Amino acid sequence: MTKNLFHDKTAQWTIYAVFFLCLAAIPAFVSDGFLLNQFATYGVYAMLALSISLCWGFGGILNLGQGIAFGLAAYGMAMTMQMQSQDASNPLPPFMANNSLEQLPFFWEPFWNTGFGIVLALVVPTLFYVIFGSLMFRARVSGPFIAIMTLAMLSALYTLILDMQPYTNGVNGISPPAALHIFGTDIDPYSTKAYWIVFALLLLTTVASKLLTQSKFGLVVQALRGDPERVRFLGYNVALYETVIYTISGLIAAIAGCLWVMLVQYVSPAQFDVTFSITMVIWAGIGGRLSLLGAILGALMIQGGQSYLGDQFLNTWLLLLGGFFILVVRFLPRGLAGLLEKVLGMVADRQPRESGPIARPLAPHHAVGASEK
Amino acid sequence: MGILEIHNLNKSFGGTHVINDFSLDVTELTLCCLVGPNGAGKTTTMDLITGRQKPTSGRIVLRDDDITGLGEHEIAQRGIGRKFQVPAVFRELSVRQNFEVSYSQEVNPFRNMFRRQPAGFKSRLDEVATLTGLKDRLHVEAGLLSHGETQWLEIGMVLMQNPAILLLDEPVAGMTESEIEKTIVFLNQLKKNHTLIVVEHDMSFVREIADVVTVMHMGSFLAQGKLSEIENNPKVREVYLGEPEI
Repeated sequence: MTKNLFHDKTAQWTIYAVFFLCLAAIPAFVSDGFLLNQFATYGVYAMLALSISLCWGFGGILNLGQGIAFGLAAYGMAMTMQMQSQDASNPLPPFMANNSLEQLPFFWEPFWNTGFGIVLALVVPTLFYVIFGSLMFRARVSGPFIAIMTLAMLSALYTLILDMQPYTNGVNGISPPAALHIFGTDIDPYSTKAYWIVFALLLLTTVASKLLTQSKFGLVVQALRGDPERVRFLGYNVALYETVIYTISGLIAAIAGCLWVMLVQYVSPAQFDVTFSITMVIWAGIGGRLSLLGAILGALMIQGGQSYLGDQFLNTWLLLLGGFFILVVRFLPRGLAGLLEKVLGMVADRQPRESGPIARPLAPHHAVGASEK
Repeated sequence: MGILEIHNLNKSFGGTHVINDFSLDVTELTLCCLVGPNGAGKTTTMDLITGRQKPTSGRIVLRDDDITGLGEHEIAQRGIGRKFQVPAVFRELSVRQNFEVSYSQEVNPFRNMFRRQPAGFKSRLDEVATLTGLKDRLHVEAGLLSHGETQWLEIGMVLMQNPAILLLDEPVAGMTESEIEKTIVFLNQLKKNHTLIVVEHDMSFVREIADVVTVMHMGSFLAQGKLSEIENNPKVREVYLGEPEI
């Protein structure tokens, strides 16, 4: 029996390279700005699925509130872009005037500066995750209770932002009138420039995440998914490790939030919607939460399916998606990537021993780790 | 002066005294067996030493370092390793990965992000894998090991940690005769470089390994000494052994 190709690191990196080359080829074939914009939006969803795969797949932290980081960052970005359209003579965004505010609220002030605004859009959610995460993990909250707490926090933020009508424009949200202006140019959301920015950041976050899962840190995180108690008795501060992986996943979701607003020039409390955060978990679940690329492909498949098949099936689409999800959870707990792992394992078993240069005696096909590594 | 000293330890759960004024001195490079009937407080004592439970009062000192009330990971870092009663290994990871996680010289998450394989790991892995007889099983998923192998794996994991003191909670539970014999040889070898505290029920096993036997009864210290002394101790016979022969 030979080694399962699924666990071969060179093969994994090759597949990642092929995937990103395909993404890089898209602008050459797609000239329609709206379509390109849609693909870029899928890239943002892919990033969210990646973040879920990190904390849920690798860390076992079932985070149903990833919208917290995504939404907070999206608001930060929208505020930054909104302030680009204001100036000293007209400092008040129109919706504030409509809500009879006379002065720019103090927490809007830092967003005058584009660079500082974007930094805030990333730092605020990240700090939020550090604090919220360390509170949860130090109290040794685990399993379904994490899901409940993150969900509750998400709903609380949703209500909060909805209720602060004069400052956030409530349910209508913020729609910055112009495209993001940065580094001396406008980032037209329908341009290839916007697509490349999303592409570059998706590539960066994916490679960083992949390296992270292959590091000793990643191994400890995978170990504590199975048995946090054991990890603790080996000398690791489990709460710290959990907080760090949760925060990294939050930072990736925050980057996604910024990019999303850059692409759609809009934000509303809908980004804090419970359904959206649960959808992210479904992407990772169907694609394969233990495989970063699996989760990414899950997001692309389901969102693509929703855009094209969803129009034809209308309301039955959600029913189909739900049914599909139940099937995957029941029969493929490791998602479609897990199915591939099984198939490749069977292929490896069939091959005669001599054919494998890296044949390992005594190692059954499902031997190397539980997860893609 | 022992490497580990327990002074007047007390633990009560809502008025029920589980550990009563228990003191113990463990000498370096010895194997101390902790015996006693069910409910004597042996596992609770282990929990108190390793920080899983906090004592109501009393002090635990490791090499002049007061470790009372510290967190589990802090105590583990100071050199106390523990093997659980029910074998706890990472079932989804390979045997090799189990050993890799257990090699916990560096516990800082940020430094571990940029590290694939820490220095000294390879030679240590080789050593421990040979000792535990798992050399050919390194790439097997830990969940697929036999019960005996799982016990060995966990002992190996504790060794990877390279602790000053090893606490083993019923290490031979569920092992076959030949596996028990192997364990006896192994533990006697281990004594040369490590201090061990073993909780055990099986008296014939205790006879083979123990330098010192400490008997607990109802959460208190009852007797301590060589097994032969313990066997002839009338107090021990009365409360624990209950019959003239063991």
